[in-house]
Amino acid sequence: MPLKEALKCFSCFEVSGLCSRVLSELRRVFGVDVTELLSPYSELLLCSGLFTEVYLVSNDLLGVVNVLRRSGRVPYCVGIYVGRFRGRKPYLIPSTMLANTVFSRLGRYVSTVVVSDEGLKPFLYGRDVLKASVTKVYPKLRRKDIAFVVGSDGYVYGVGISLVDDSTINDLGRNDVVVKNVFDVGWYLRGGTEPREKKFKT
Amino acid sequence: MTFPKVDELVRLFSVSVSERARALASRYGFRDYMVERYYMMFGDWGVVEELLRSFDRGLNKVVRCNTLRVPDCSYLVSRLGRLGFTLRGVSWCGYAFEVLSEGFVSLGATHEFLAGMYYVHRGLATLLPPIILSPKPSDRVLDLAAGVGGKTTHLSQIMGGSGVVVAVDIDRFKVRALRSNLERLGVCNVVVVRMDGRLVPEVFGEGFFSKVLLDAPCTGEGIIQVDRSRRFKTDVVDLARASQLQYELLLTALRSVCSGGYVLYSTCSIAPEEDEFVVDSVLNDLDGVEVVDIPKIIDFHPGITEFGRLRFSDELRRCVRTYPHVHGMEGFFICLLRKL
Repeated sequence: MPLKEALKCFSCFEVSGLCSRVLSELRRVFGVDVTELLSPYSELLLCSGLFTEVYLVSNDLLGVVNVLRRSGRVPYCVGIYVGRFRGRKPYLIPSTMLANTVFSRLGRYVSTVVVSDEGLKPFLYGRDVLKASVTKVYPKLRRKDIAFVVGSDGYVYGVGISLVDDSTINDLGRNDVVVKNVFDVGWYLRGGTEPREKKFKT
Repeated sequence: MTFPKVDELVRLFSVSVSERARALASRYGFRDYMVERYYMMFGDWGVVEELLRSFDRGLNKVVRCNTLRVPDCSYLVSRLGRLGFTLRGVSWCGYAFEVLSEGFVSLGATHEFLAGMYYVHRGLATLLPPIILSPKPSDRVLDLAAGVGGKTTHLSQIMGGSGVVVAVDIDRFKVRALRSNLERLGVCNVVVVRMDGRLVPEVFGEGFFSKVLLDAPCTGEGIIQVDRSRRFKTDVVDLARASQLQYELLLTALRSVCSGGYVLYSTCSIAPEEDEFVVDSVLNDLDGVEVVDIPKIIDFHPGITEFGRLRFSDELRRCVRTYPHVHGMEGFFICLLRKL
């Protein structure tokens, strides 16, 4: 097991290159400028330890974080949890918190599969989404890229990796996997107090 | 400032136990010193027995509809109704519902719970501190002993997700659960800091916050309904230790709040040693702090001013208490202070 590294947090003034990559990834996933959409939560904060975790914070929150940092401390978490930034594709695993907030502000879904109530249950136990449970698809699904899993009530219940493109989903059989489960909100029940490194399966 | 040391507190808090208290303690499975103190509080063995009986009755859980996620709480009520839950609205809190009967699945395992549509409180009284503190979207609020975030998320909900809440707790597991709850409920305006709350003024500076909520760690003598082990697991030494920590945390809270700002001190304990005694000690040691009247949300009992050998300032009548045998909720103590 790797040694735990000291957590450090940076604003975009300090790590502008990394911030640009995060912002462009966010724009690619959601198709909009998320920082503008979620104003006043417009400032990125990147906290690196074993993982790089990304938050969107308001100026007020950033002010508090800066006071903390002056005493050599970092927040455990702050503002909107954007997700984890990684060195391999997909570079950003967005959180359900971010997805719910973005879609509710945006008034529409992107890269999303809507699943039936019957399909949602196994998904919340960590299973993948099968074609049989998909009731609707919001483009754009891209193979090996992020897809959001939404229930029939419109809430985002998880994030996964799409195994198909928009154009090929209809070629699948009923029991073929459409979205591989990466994170589902059942985690709050199964391991909500476990370290976050156990959280992602990709 | 001369708050007594633990051994002095133990001497101060110790009581001689009567035969009557011993007999009741044995019948209801309590430590006898607890029962004797309840008699000192109420002065009536009949009331003491009512209190002891009420600790057996259990509590209805309370669902707090998360208005940050669910604009219309009747939607949540109807969804939970379809799952077999019977809910009753709380008259003094429009977005909270008592769970009168459980449904087909556990409250903590429904899709609605996982989607962040509600938070489950163990009883009604835990709703009171954030409502009484009543933070505004312009406030900078400190939740000094945030725990798993029931009150942090409630504060944020009252603020409509605006302003700033700084949630501090030292416990690694509680902070992890707090983070989960914030994400699940979609609460955006919170900074979580894992640290000893007593260091807050050194880190943030004095007077950094406009409001502070201190729901202090306590012996839990008001929530025996949900944790039966509390009938016998704490003794006078635990009481003294808790009292000392509470005093230090309340001093910290008052240092952290700005002039004109408010500190809400609460405990889920009916022990005066953790409640009026702590507030009275702080009032004696600090100038420029006053106890403020609390709005009459329910028919609260006033704070007490006499307890055995202990005498407290008359100001403490403005603090409020809830009792399981009177209010049908957890035993709670709440005191609102203003820094002048």
